[in-house]
Amino acid sequence: MGKRITVDPVTRIEGHLKIDVEIENGKVKDAWSSGTMARGIELLLRGKDPRDASYVTSRICGVCYSVHQLCSAYALDDAFGAKVPTGGTLLRNLVMGAEYIYDHMLHFYHLTALDYLDVMAIANYKGDDKELLAVKDKIVGLVKSNDTYPLTPRYKPDEYCVNDPDTVITAVKHYIDALAMQAKARNMGAIFGGRQPHYQSIVVGGLTQYPDINQVLQFKTMLDEQAKFVEEVYIPDVMAFGTGPLFPLAKMGLGGGHYNYLSYGALKTNPPKNDLLFPAGVIIDMDPANLRVKPFEAAKITESVKHAWYKDSKPLHPAKGVTEYDLDKENGYSFVKAPRYEGHSMEVGPLARMLIKKDPALIDLVKKGAKPGAVARHAARAIETKQVIDACYKWIDQLLTEMTKPGFKIHDSENWEIPDAGEGAGFYEPPRGALGHWIEIEDKKIKNYQAVVPSTWNASPRCDKDVRGQYEESLIGAPVPDPDNPINVVRIIRSFDPCLACAIHLIDPQSNEVKKFIVE
Amino acid sequence: MSPILGDINRRDFIKYTAMTAAALGLSQIDVMNKVSEAMAASSSDKPPVIWLEGQDCAGCTTSFASTLNPPAASIILDTISLRYHETIMAASGHKSEQALHHTVKEGGYVLLVEGSIPLADGRFCMIAGRPFEEIVLECAKNAAAIIAVGACATYGGVPAAGPTGSVGVREVVKNKPIINISTCPVHPDHLVGTIVYYLTTGKVPPLDKEGRPLMYFGESIHDNCRRHAYFEEGKLLQDWNDPEQKNWCLIDKGCKGPVTYADCSVRRWNDGLNFCIDCGAGCRGCAEPIFYAGMSPLYSDPTGKAEELKKEAKIREAKRKELNTGKEVK
Ligand code: SF4
Ligand code: SF4
Repeated sequence: MGKRITVDPVTRIEGHLKIDVEIENGKVKDAWSSGTMARGIELLLRGKDPRDASYVTSRICGVCYSVHQLCSAYALDDAFGAKVPTGGTLLRNLVMGAEYIYDHMLHFYHLTALDYLDVMAIANYKGDDKELLAVKDKIVGLVKSNDTYPLTPRYKPDEYCVNDPDTVITAVKHYIDALAMQAKARNMGAIFGGRQPHYQSIVVGGLTQYPDINQVLQFKTMLDEQAKFVEEVYIPDVMAFGTGPLFPLAKMGLGGGHYNYLSYGALKTNPPKNDLLFPAGVIIDMDPANLRVKPFEAAKITESVKHAWYKDSKPLHPAKGVTEYDLDKENGYSFVKAPRYEGHSMEVGPLARMLIKKDPALIDLVKKGAKPGAVARHAARAIETKQVIDACYKWIDQLLTEMTKPGFKIHDSENWEIPDAGEGAGFYEPPRGALGHWIEIEDKKIKNYQAVVPSTWNASPRCDKDVRGQYEESLIGAPVPDPDNPINVVRIIRSFDPCLACAIHLIDPQSNEVKKFIVE
Repeated sequence: MSPILGDINRRDFIKYTAMTAAALGLSQIDVMNKVSEAMAASSSDKPPVIWLEGQDCAGCTTSFASTLNPPAASIILDTISLRYHETIMAASGHKSEQALHHTVKEGGYVLLVEGSIPLADGRFCMIAGRPFEEIVLECAKNAAAIIAVGACATYGGVPAAGPTGSVGVREVVKNKPIINISTCPVHPDHLVGTIVYYLTTGKVPPLDKEGRPLMYFGESIHDNCRRHAYFEEGKLLQDWNDPEQKNWCLIDKGCKGPVTYADCSVRRWNDGLNFCIDCGAGCRGCAEPIFYAGMSPLYSDPTGKAEELKKEAKIREAKRKELNTGKEVK
C-alpha cells in the first residue's frame, strides 16, 4: 500500500476540487477526483419562466458564464422554435470569440504559469530593461518587506521549474500585462454582451444589443490589440515553454490519460451556412500515427452515478438521468457524475478539438515527440485562440455587410412568447470542452432542466465499471518524488482548466429525451 | 516601490479619492492626504486580506480581476497583502490552509466572503474537509472588517432559490457588522471603493437598512435612467430589431429598474463601456435582497410595480398634453 496524500483545495481553478492520490515508489499509483460543492442550479429552475434559464445558468460559472448563457439560449431557441437571424448569430459569435480569447489567456498566465516558474529567481535578473527592472523592484520589494503573499507559500520548485532569471522575469511581466489584456478582452465581449462578467444581452431568439457602426469598429480596434498580444506574446510564450524547458514533460507525456477525445462541434464560420470552426467528432484510444476520427452521436452518451453522491441507478442518457442526491452513500466520493461515451471515459477541451480537427500545428508538435498530455493542452489552447481571432475578423466583415441590408435583424421577435409545451437541446464547445443543455417546458414553465458540462467529462469519478475519470487516469504514473510537494499533481489537473462550479449539479428524476441536435 | 507600476498605482488611487471624497464628507485634498499616508505606510505594512469562496461561481473574483482602474495587479501586489484566495494564490492543499490559519491567528484582517453558505447540510460546500459555515465563523472572529461580496454572499442570490438552504453571511455571522456589497456579480468599483474607504478612514461607510453602502446603493436605477424620458412619454420598447425603438424604456421587457437601488444607471459597467440597460436587456434587479427568486419571471413584472408606474405615467403624460394644448389655444 502506497502513501495516500490529499490536495484540498486545489487552488487556481474555478470551484472546489479535492484530489487524493496514492503514491508508490515516487509515482502516482491511483487517484480520486472529488467535487466538493453543490448548489442545485437545475433544480431551482423548475417551475420558472423558461426565458430565465439563460440568465440563471450563466451563474453556473463566473469564469465561463457566457457559454452557459449561449448554450441555454440554443436549447431555448430549439424549444421555442425560434430562428435566430444571421445578425443575431454573428453578434453571439463575436461575444463567444471574446470569451475564448480571455479564457485561454487567463488560464495560461494566471491559473497555471506559477506551476512552471520559480518566481523568486527574478531577484537574480542582471539586465537593464527598464520595464523588467520595474518588475524586479516590485518582487524584491515584496521579499524585503517580508510579505510575498499571494506568490507564496507555494510548492517547492522542482527540476522542471524555469529558473533562468531572464525568462522568469519576462514571464512575470507578461502575467501582469495579461491581467489587463484579459480584462480588455472581456470588455470587448461586453460591447455586444452588455456587461461582464455575466453578460446580459443573450436571450432566446438572438440578443438584445442592436449594434451601431461605432460599436463594431470599437470591437475591431480592441480585437486588433488582442490579436497583437496573442501573436507576439501569448503564442510565443506557450511555444517557447512547450518546446523548450517543458519539452521533457511533453515527451514524457505527463498527464496523458485515456487518449479518448470528444468534441460536439461549434461556431458557424459563415452563418447561416453550417461550416463549423470546430468540427464534431470522436477519437477512441488514439494512435498518433493514424488519427481516426469517428462521427459523434449524441445518443451514445450515458451517465453513471455509482461513485457520485446520488441515489443509485443504472447508467442512463443524461437527459433521462435519475439523480436525487444521497450524501451518505458509501461508495460515493464526488458531486460530479460520470458521463461516458459508448462506455469510454473521454477527454473534452482544446486538445480534443485540435486532434479531432487534425490541426497541422498540433500534429506537428506530436510528430516532434510531444505526447498528448499537460503540455500539449497548453499548446492546443494557444493554437485555437489564433483560429478564433481569425474567425472574429470574418464575422465582423460579414456583420458590416449584413447591417447595410434593409430589414437587418438581431432577434426573432415572433417567438419571444413562451410556448405552452416543448423540448429543446443545445450543444456548444466552450474553451473547456463539450457542453450540453436540455430543457423541457410544460404549462409555459420549466418542467426539467439539465446541463452536462465540460468538467463533468474531465473531472468525473469512476463509473459503474470502475473505470477512472480522465483527471484520475491522467495522474497515473506521474512522478511525485516528495509526497509533501505534489507539484506534478496540480500541474496535470490545472492543464485541464478545471471549472468545478460547472461540473456539479443536482438534478431531478424525470426528464425528456434528446430529440434534436443543434449546433450553432 | 517600482517607479513605473508604483506611479500607476498611486495615480489611480488618487482618481478613486475623487469618488470617495463626497461620500466621506471631506474635501478631496484631505482624502488625498489620507490616501497618500495610507499608501506610504503600505509598502512595508500592507493590510492583510482573506477572500473566502463558498457556494460561488467565481464571478465576483473575475469581476474584481477585470478592473483596469486601478489595475487589479497593483491592488493584489502593492496595496493589500492577499493571504488567502483560492482562485488567485500560488499555494494549494495544506500550504494554502497554513496561510489561512496563520492569518486568522494574527487577526486584524479584512475578510471578504464570496458565495453563499448552505445551511441545509454542511456537506454541500466543503473546503479542506470542513463545512464552509465553520470556516466563515472562524474567520469572522478575528476580522477587523467583514465585507460580503456579491448577491450570493449578501442575501443568498441565485443559490438561495435552490435546495441547499443557501444564505448570506449576515444569517451566519450575527454579532458583527457586515458590509453588504450586492449585485450579481459585484461591481468592481463598489468593492474597491469600499475597501479604500475602510483603509483610509478605518470606518465602515454609512449603510442602508440592508447593510449596503449608501454611497453606491442610495438611489433608484429608474430615477436616474437615461431612458426615463421615454418612459414618461410611454415609448416602451417592443421589438429589439427596430432601430427607432433602440433607446426606448425597457419596462415591457421586464426591466426591474423601478424596484432596484444601485448606481448602475450613472456609473455603468466595465469602465463605462455598457451595462444592462444600455444593451437593451434591462435591469434584472440583482442589487436587491429578493433577487433572484423575487425578481422572477425576469422578463415580466412579478411585483406589479411596473403596471402601477405605467398607469401613473400615463396620467402625467395626459396632463402634460392637456397643458400643452391649453397653451396653444391661448
Ligand atoms: S423601467 Fe428600466 S429602462 Fe425604463 S426608465 Fe426605468 S430603469 Fe430605465
Ligand atoms: S442594472 Fe440592475 S441588473 Fe444590472 S447590475 Fe445594476 S442592479 Fe444589477
